[in-house]
Amino acid sequence: MAAPGPRRGRRASRAGQGHTITSGRALPYGLLAPILIFECVFVLYPIVRGFLLAFQNTSFGLTKWVGVANFSQMVHDAFFWGSVRTTLEFTLSMVVIWLGLGLLVALLMNWNFKGRSFFRAALALPWALPDVPTVLTFTVMLDPNFGVLNRVAAWIPGVHHDIKWLTSPTLAFVAIVIMVGWKGFPFFGLIILSSLQGIPDDLYEAARVDGAGPFQRFRAITFPSLIPTLAFLSVLAFIFSFQQFSLIYLSTGGGPGTSTSTLSVLIYNEAFQDFNYNYASAVAVVGLALALVGTLLFVIFERRVARARMSAGSEI
Amino acid sequence: MTEPAPLTAGQRPRRPAPSRLAKRIGRYTLLVVVAVVVLFPVYWMVLSTFQPEKYSLTYPPPFFLHGFNLGALTSLFEQQPIVAWLAHSLLVSVLAVVITVLLAVPGGYLLSRLRWRGSGVFGFLLLFTQIMPGAMIVVPELQFYRLLNWTNNLFALPAVYAAFTVPLGCWILKSAFDNVPGEVVEAAIVDGTSRIGVLLRILVPLSRPALTAVVVVAFFVSWNDYVFASAFITNRGLYTAGLGISTFISEEDIQLYQLQAAAVVFSLVPAALYMIVSRHIVRGLTAGAVK
Repeated sequence: MAAPGPRRGRRASRAGQGHTITSGRALPYGLLAPILIFECVFVLYPIVRGFLLAFQNTSFGLTKWVGVANFSQMVHDAFFWGSVRTTLEFTLSMVVIWLGLGLLVALLMNWNFKGRSFFRAALALPWALPDVPTVLTFTVMLDPNFGVLNRVAAWIPGVHHDIKWLTSPTLAFVAIVIMVGWKGFPFFGLIILSSLQGIPDDLYEAARVDGAGPFQRFRAITFPSLIPTLAFLSVLAFIFSFQQFSLIYLSTGGGPGTSTSTLSVLIYNEAFQDFNYNYASAVAVVGLALALVGTLLFVIFERRVARARMSAGSEI
Repeated sequence: MTEPAPLTAGQRPRRPAPSRLAKRIGRYTLLVVVAVVVLFPVYWMVLSTFQPEKYSLTYPPPFFLHGFNLGALTSLFEQQPIVAWLAHSLLVSVLAVVITVLLAVPGGYLLSRLRWRGSGVFGFLLLFTQIMPGAMIVVPELQFYRLLNWTNNLFALPAVYAAFTVPLGCWILKSAFDNVPGEVVEAAIVDGTSRIGVLLRILVPLSRPALTAVVVVAFFVSWNDYVFASAFITNRGLYTAGLGISTFISEEDIQLYQLQAAAVVFSLVPAALYMIVSRHIVRGLTAGAVK
């Protein structure tokens, strides 16, 4: 199924040559060429193009090189800094919520109970629900007039049921965090759970023999064994939250003000509402730099997890 | 560590069975709470679709179904070109899946079993593509598509999705290929199998769950996209389902319950896919995420 015709042909001819060393060395590059060309055309080339756009300005169909003008505009733009702040607050909130609740769920599930497989499947559901229906559902649940979340919130003493979630800056941010948090924490719980199950049982047995209580066992065994996984997952959570776009954009559009405007949302609004492609590209350069930092962190932490896993002799 | 030890040890024999039972009940209660939190929005989406109008647009909204109303669904299909939109999404997603599989199978092999110069740089490039948010390149990508006259073209749109799913597919397949025992591969090579033969006749058949995961993930990403579809497709007749349905959010004359019907319909395809391969997805996603 995955065998494109030409490749089979090449294999046959190589068999005819009797597996020479040179043809063997060329093979990786033959396989590489299609992917590399594809990714260069659809990813690298646009990145370079976007980079150039950031140093240009277009008015009345005329494109001029303007040096760093877009960047100096950015430095003085309160909207840009507001978005940077929102991005940081949002990614940090997501890392804490996804990992914190994920850890709780994983600990809660780390025993043999009835209905465990059902529970696992249920936990993967929010992650599998596409963004658009998620936003539609939360929009309905958060509706100031008929929203069911207001009915639940009104159970708290002193809270009235007419909370206008998406029109107050603070509440809009909270609403986004609830929605994105709901979508991600069960997934992180599943990953942490599989890592929990890799901790050898004899460690716990030994601790029990030594008389350690459940809390001590968590502090002395569970948590230290999880640290490499948790460190790696916090990088992953940073990356995933940095990638969020449709959930935020479709529910608030970034507003009110910059309260929910992450960098992705800012870029989209600059490009497709204000039609300021050049300024949007300058902001995207900053975003790409952040993505590069994320990639480097990912590589570093992934190596650490691999090393820890190897020394622990367990598999995740 | 040593000090509280005798204390706990002394308590243990005295702890009666009922406390264990209480602990179990406590754990089950917490599990039920988690399950309710996790499933509630999905439940609400389905509930609001079938809730008769007079109940869905009142305060307080009832927690349970009061009757069964198909009005939201039928009016959705009568008033909106939802079937065409769904067909567009299906076409785009399937094409993206095909490109992804064709490129990710050799890509995973390149990262896993082959030794060659530049594999480190290649891996980093793939990782960066995977990590970069789509919104960062949507502007230059749009300009590129305009240059080629590829906007409003449902056959061109999948390419940009595949650009993002190929790297993920490569990583998922790499970890699957890594897990195939080395002896199996060596035995095949001794038998005279070429390295392409190793890939197609040994590694791929032994990595079916991972391949399923790649198909599902690529499908989900494409089915789910909003950024690129909204930029590249401006002709309402060519909208993908996600794009079309998302326009309902800002439309004033659409009723809330019709929104929910649209959400349910849109989720059905991924949900069906999910039911069929749920085990593979969880395993594949975690493999892709952790490796």
